[in-house]
Amino acid sequence: MTPTPTLNTKLKFQRCGFSSLAQAMDYAAQGETGFNFYNARGQLLSVLPYRELRAQAQIMARKLLGLKLHRGDRMLLVADTTPQFATAFIACQYAGIVPVPVSLPVGLGAKTGYVDQLALQLAGSGARAAMAADGLGGFLAEAAEGANLLLHGEPEAFASLPEAQADLKPLGPDGRCYLQYSSGSTRFPLGVDVTQKALMANILGMSSVGLDIRPEDRAISWLPFYHDMGLIGFMLGPICNQLSTDLLPTREFARRPSVWLNMISQNRNSVSYSPTFGYDLSMRRLSDEQVAALDLSCWRRAGIGGDMVQPQVLRRFAEIFAPAGFREGAFVPSYGMAETCLAVAFAPADDKVRIDRVLRAGLAAGRAEAANASADEREARTFAICGLPLAGHDLEVRDEQEFPLPDRRIGRVFVRGPSVTPGYFNQPEATAAVLHQDGWLDTGDLGYMLDGELIVTGRAKDLIIINGRNIWPQDLEWAVEALPGLRRGDVAAFAVHDDEHGGEDVVVLVQARLTDVEARDELRRAVEAAVREQAAIDCRVVLVPPHALPQTSSGKLSRSRARNNYLQGQYGEPADPVPAES
Amino acid sequence: MNDGLALGQKEAFAEVEKLLQPFRKGDASIALDTDITRDLNIDSLAVMDMIMELEDKFDISIPLNVVAETKTVRELVDAVSRLRMGA
Repeated sequence: MTPTPTLNTKLKFQRCGFSSLAQAMDYAAQGETGFNFYNARGQLLSVLPYRELRAQAQIMARKLLGLKLHRGDRMLLVADTTPQFATAFIACQYAGIVPVPVSLPVGLGAKTGYVDQLALQLAGSGARAAMAADGLGGFLAEAAEGANLLLHGEPEAFASLPEAQADLKPLGPDGRCYLQYSSGSTRFPLGVDVTQKALMANILGMSSVGLDIRPEDRAISWLPFYHDMGLIGFMLGPICNQLSTDLLPTREFARRPSVWLNMISQNRNSVSYSPTFGYDLSMRRLSDEQVAALDLSCWRRAGIGGDMVQPQVLRRFAEIFAPAGFREGAFVPSYGMAETCLAVAFAPADDKVRIDRVLRAGLAAGRAEAANASADEREARTFAICGLPLAGHDLEVRDEQEFPLPDRRIGRVFVRGPSVTPGYFNQPEATAAVLHQDGWLDTGDLGYMLDGELIVTGRAKDLIIINGRNIWPQDLEWAVEALPGLRRGDVAAFAVHDDEHGGEDVVVLVQARLTDVEARDELRRAVEAAVREQAAIDCRVVLVPPHALPQTSSGKLSRSRARNNYLQGQYGEPADPVPAES
Repeated sequence: MNDGLALGQKEAFAEVEKLLQPFRKGDASIALDTDITRDLNIDSLAVMDMIMELEDKFDISIPLNVVAETKTVRELVDAVSRLRMGA
């Protein structure tokens, strides 16, 4: 088996500039480039040139039309990193059907939660058909009970359908492209409505100023296709740029993180992306000899997104791999979210990761005052500069009353521009809560501006991000409240910054009426176990007295105040040394 | 502890027990009815590591759906021995 070549011999490179995904696919299919699927040992499992992808997708599109799916109907696709998923996603485009990519189950015992989540996504998207990844047809069948589906099953069930004799009318420039289910909690999933226009505008912006994509680029990714960074960054983006892309399932990367770097060294990849934790993971357990055997000089753009950029981790990575030819200047910190397709701000190319050091003392009051070079780590905190907005987009930092703030004042980040979603599918209230009539999107993130560039400092909304996974505190709280002896409102979960290791720690406060020492220990263990079962993460459990958790005026739990109380040591535990940014 | 297990299951149990030792809580030993995520101090990355070790040791591949349906040591041992027999 031979991977697709990096360069097209005849087809002229065209950096985006298409009006729909189907049109981009039609163009890319005239060349020799395409997707290559690998396993954790770096073995090539299958090759899918764009020409073949288009041909297979058109066959499948006719099979879908034979199912009596109507134009604009939704089809749920479990997004494994396989040729079958890529083919089905593009088939939907040609058939005029809106694909809804969703996640794979993660971890031991994940089945129950996963089936519940699929059922909610089927209901929320009003899907009329659903395709599982191989081996997951049984889970999908359980989720599909009671859903009004024309067909659900593994790829084979769809492959064996007869082709309809129909002209293909692809999804056009003025409509939807797909729904992205990565927003909202597990119980109330929200599907971001990704339009063709927003997607094409975002890919063009990212490929031009952001990553400066060139015809000789070759991409590589282990990011899941159910996440915007994997799907747009390394499936849809490469189609729009006719780039060959080497793909590795996320679970294979998690098993052997070093395979990512080995493949870059061998395949001469020039563009890849990861949250900070992926860089951290990939440099563990590598000997000096293994580093010396790598040649990473080909890596032109190493993007960072999906979690808060941690400059100290990136610097360590650059130091370790400098002998292998890696340049710190390859790092591209960026900022974005599913509601803007993918990234809307990129750090301009430089020879190192640009940072801003500010005094910790002012942070709690919302001031990001520049620190002198002499200030040490106790006095100053370092943030990565996430860069300038893409052309045609605006970023603004606002105060509580939504008035714009001057440079170095911390507030909520707002964004406006062609990449912004028209809203959440069938959820007008959730849409109105974040998207203003004048087109500004409230990102829920906190940050400040500096000479037109954005620096992200944290989140205004309560979302917890662990190893790149979004975890909703409500989901943890509900799981813990279900324990015997606890009631609704007894639990508050939030993240605190872990200064020592970077990343975040999860704290769970529990109102306990117990006095017996052993019973309290038992409760603590039960809470840890419930959180681990719900989200496969460790947490710090702190028992607090009844009525100790603060409420909002409407009687709801105030997580931000509970978190502040905790950080100030009100609950008796050693507080985090950082006076945090909220 | 592992009486009544077939030979292949004993071998799988011995390996699982060895891999899970570092994650024990206090003095509790690893038993067949140990719930891996509930009763042990193991996070999702360490679970992935353990599964990879088992796959390498026994030259098998544990599919996603099997992982998602496995909670206890017994279920893991059964899955490993089943896959080793090519079932």
